[in-house]
Amino acid sequence: MNKDKVKQIVLDIISEIAPDEDLSDVKPEIRLRDQLDLDSMDFLDIVMELRKQHGIDVPEAEYRQLESLDSCGNYLLPKFEAGAAA
Amino acid sequence: MSGLSAALRLAMFGKNVLVLEKHYVVGGLNSFYARKGRKFDVGLHAVTNFPSPSSGKTSPLLRACRQLRIPFESLNLYEQSRSRISFEDKHIRFNNEFSFFLNEIYENFPKEKDRFRNFLQKMEDFDAYSINVPDLSTRSILKEAFAEPLLGEMLLCPTSYYGSAQENDIDFATFTMLFDAIFKQGLARPSHGIRAILDPLVQKLDEMGVKRLMNNAVKKIKTYNGKATEIVMDNEDTYTADHIISTCGLVETEELLTKKKTPPKENKMGNFSVIETISVFKGKPTDFGWDETVIFYNDDQEFRYEKPKESMDSTSGVICIPENYQDPHNQKVDESRLRITNPANFDKWDSLEEPAYIAEKARCETVMLQKALEYLPKGQIQKKDFSDATLLKDTFTPRTIKKYTNHANGALYGSPVKSRSGSSQIKNLYLAGTDQGYIGIVGAMLGGIAVANNRILRPA
Ligand SMILES: Cc1cc2nc3c(=O)[nH]c(=O)nc-3n(C[C@H](O)[C@H](O)[C@H](O)COP(=O)(O)OP(=O)(O)OC[C@H]3O[C@@H](n4cnc5c(N)ncnc54)[C@H](O)[C@@H]3O)c2cc1C
Repeated sequence: MNKDKVKQIVLDIISEIAPDEDLSDVKPEIRLRDQLDLDSMDFLDIVMELRKQHGIDVPEAEYRQLESLDSCGNYLLPKFEAGAAA
Repeated sequence: MSGLSAALRLAMFGKNVLVLEKHYVVGGLNSFYARKGRKFDVGLHAVTNFPSPSSGKTSPLLRACRQLRIPFESLNLYEQSRSRISFEDKHIRFNNEFSFFLNEIYENFPKEKDRFRNFLQKMEDFDAYSINVPDLSTRSILKEAFAEPLLGEMLLCPTSYYGSAQENDIDFATFTMLFDAIFKQGLARPSHGIRAILDPLVQKLDEMGVKRLMNNAVKKIKTYNGKATEIVMDNEDTYTADHIISTCGLVETEELLTKKKTPPKENKMGNFSVIETISVFKGKPTDFGWDETVIFYNDDQEFRYEKPKESMDSTSGVICIPENYQDPHNQKVDESRLRITNPANFDKWDSLEEPAYIAEKARCETVMLQKALEYLPKGQIQKKDFSDATLLKDTFTPRTIKKYTNHANGALYGSPVKSRSGSSQIKNLYLAGTDQGYIGIVGAMLGGIAVANNRILRPA
């Protein structure tokens, strides 16, 4: 697992949640909300899909860590690695 | 619709869900039926909240589709042609282009231009979608907002018909949501009617293995220490669950909880109900020169939205012509429908025995049609032609609404008391749909979604 793979996982989830969004040019350093039409309901879905598909828990207080692809990579990578090690 | 939506959300995230439905078909007020080989939708005039280009492409309808993973395109929605609000000789037309509607307002009420802009801003600044929104009277707000009362009355008409549980008023949050849903976004209709929404919901539930028990009503919800412990069905089967979502209404849910039959408080009972008559006729509506989709009319300068004293009141109502949605298929149809809706009195209809009920339906059909023709272009002089072209009439009354929803009084939009958050007096029992204050097809979907998300799925 590496950060790029984590980012791809997040992008895949977004494409499931919001199939109408064009994800071909998402800038990793820019907030997802600022480039895509995602609202808080969509972010909740990202969190729930992470749990459902990968068994990863994101506490509500830490949702902000998912605001951009870069921050997703930084924040989620240790969680993925911890999951793989377990 | 709210129940199916909630069930789907919960099943998507691994919850074990059971759907309990009193009828043998799904959909509640948004159901469907067949008569003489023709398919009818029960409640469908319009799917509101169409994400028209001028709405900036954001719409609760898109939100609902996303949350339920139903591709928006699969609904095959076609937009309205043009609609109208008519109060005597004053007309405001609208389509799904908000600027067209604004123009109509400014042309009809030139002196109100600035005040209308302020009013739009007031709605913009009001957080109608918050669950802690204050309960404000739209009628008083409109009275203050405009110098010409007629403008406010005309705005109240479509918003009340598409979603007010109160008589002669509507709370400002619901008004704002409906104003957006009807005017800023817009009206559309799925090419195949309501089943375009119901079928994918049911199919997905089936695929996920969600069991639906049909044709069996919940009779009682047993509680212990403020928690719901057991559901008892009409056939005495029982079920237990960690969480229960009830979409049958506030008063109706309370009745399922109480042992003694204490009559519910008057102020919790919705009173407003309608009668609707559908005429199936040969040809296209444009053969008669009728090219509009929905017409909201009122015979007076003041809009009355209340339970009539008689069985029905045709002085105000809604006319809908589904074949005037811009569906290419509608260019080829050889028969069309004219739907007319008027306020009606539940008690009057409920007290009629069968032969009298049928006779009263027939009498009302004639009166309603007569009045609707006054509001359709050259309607009066085409009366005989239209009657000759009519193949079939079907009418439903407040009694039918009660049958399909179980709402006390056949109340169209349920109780005037709403529980936005979906909370009830019981910890693990939530209300969704109509009595959560989310109205209409899109409202019901989002209401069910919100309760599933916020009450059950959201990690603690
Ligand atoms: C004439 C008419 C026209 C309408 N037109 C439109 C329109 O054009 N556009 C629009 O958006 N909205 C329209 N509506 C409104 C819309 O239909 C409702 O707002 C919506 O259906 C509400 O959905 P719901 O899920 O809250 O409740 P319901 O549709 O009432 O669903 C509740 C369900 O619970 C079931 N139930 C009740 N009691 C029990 C029990 N004890 N046990 C088991 N099951 C039970 C019922 O059978 C029903 O299936 C219209 C309504 C009417 C009456």
